[in-house]
Amino acid sequence: MRLLERLRGKKPSQSDKKKKGNSNYAYAVTRVRAMKSKLLPKESYPRLLNMGIDEITRFIQESEYKNDVDELAMKYSGGDLAEHALNRNLALTYDKLGRITSGELNYLITAYLKRYEIWNIKTLLRGKLYNASVEDLLEFLIAAGQFTYTFLSELASKATYQEIVEALRKTEYYPVLQQFDGTNLAHIENELDKVYYSNLFEAIGEPKSKDRKLIAKFVKLEVDVKNLSNLFRLKRAGVEQSDEIMPLMIEGGLELKPEKLAPLPYDDFVNSLQKTQYWDAISSFIDQETASLTALEGRLIRYYLESATTYSHASPISIVPVMDYIIHKNNEVNNLRIIFRGKEAGLDDNLIKDQLVVI
Amino acid sequence: MVDAATAAAVAPVAAPLLDAAGLKALGAAIAIAGTGIASGWAEKDIGSAAIGAMAENEALFGKGLILTVIPETIVIFGLVVALLINSA
Repeated sequence: MRLLERLRGKKPSQSDKKKKGNSNYAYAVTRVRAMKSKLLPKESYPRLLNMGIDEITRFIQESEYKNDVDELAMKYSGGDLAEHALNRNLALTYDKLGRITSGELNYLITAYLKRYEIWNIKTLLRGKLYNASVEDLLEFLIAAGQFTYTFLSELASKATYQEIVEALRKTEYYPVLQQFDGTNLAHIENELDKVYYSNLFEAIGEPKSKDRKLIAKFVKLEVDVKNLSNLFRLKRAGVEQSDEIMPLMIEGGLELKPEKLAPLPYDDFVNSLQKTQYWDAISSFIDQETASLTALEGRLIRYYLESATTYSHASPISIVPVMDYIIHKNNEVNNLRIIFRGKEAGLDDNLIKDQLVVI
Repeated sequence: MVDAATAAAVAPVAAPLLDAAGLKALGAAIAIAGTGIASGWAEKDIGSAAIGAMAENEALFGKGLILTVIPETIVIFGLVVALLINSA
């Protein structure tokens, strides 16, 4: 029944939301916690940085990514193999989360993981716009949302972006995608993100129980972190007009009020952040001349990950530990990808290290 | 008169529904039933959590098993109380 409703794109009725017994939190959360314990420990990153690409591939082949590397080793090699293996593993892991959860928990996770649908649509549109090959596109697709890998490969093999938009006619993103004319990609990407967050907030609903409040807070924190990174980027680039900044901001943050921060010059903007919870995390990286933006963004992501873990301890039998795992897994895959691509491009180890977010 | 007296003597005397032995048995039954349900309820979540952990890591079988049966003590207390009631 739930599956049917999901396929029809219906939200669960009020009575569904109340069926708490259906979610089986104890099972899902313990299983997810066991999965989290298998993530790479932070000690392994310095070791990985000292290895070459083939050694790293072998290293991850001996870890949780074994099946993915084994299956794809026939088709790809080197950095491509790693990229495909990481994406495949991420997609399968998130798919597994969908399978081991049920009820309210499953509904919220599905809503959260729709971000990969957006990621894929963005990748496809960008790729088609710049005439990327189908192989290149496939490399960056993550079949974690409701779209299957087969469906995504079909989309990737279409000749133009118009065909892709047409193929997505039945999805909730079509109204936004319709406005795409080949020149306004940045605008469409922002709009897709906004659609995603407004749908997610709608799925969470008006939080009443403690864990719903935490998940709402969790998503709001994420919105704040995104807005804050964007604000820093814009401010450092010298953009101070509200009407240029506001279309790039996502609504529904926790503490930040983008409409107040947008018109401020850099120094005032930084000063106004002193009262927020993010200040301790970013205070040593705000100097416009010396501190790098990457380090600042890394700190923010780190703060976000750490807060997620704290929330998951505050509400141990709820959806929050599952969310915590989702973002930590994503972070691990990102880190490994950074190491791979960095090594492949021959970057200095210290430079790669600065890009990693290790917890 | 005679007939009525004979009839009264012959008719079986209805035993009271709850005498001392019956109340004892009922008390023992409640002790067992209540604690049984309580341990089942407690074990439900622990058991599913243990299965979840075991699905990811088989080595947790021993720990999971022990944690799952810990609420079994509740029903053992119930059993002890039931036996005490019956032997008193």
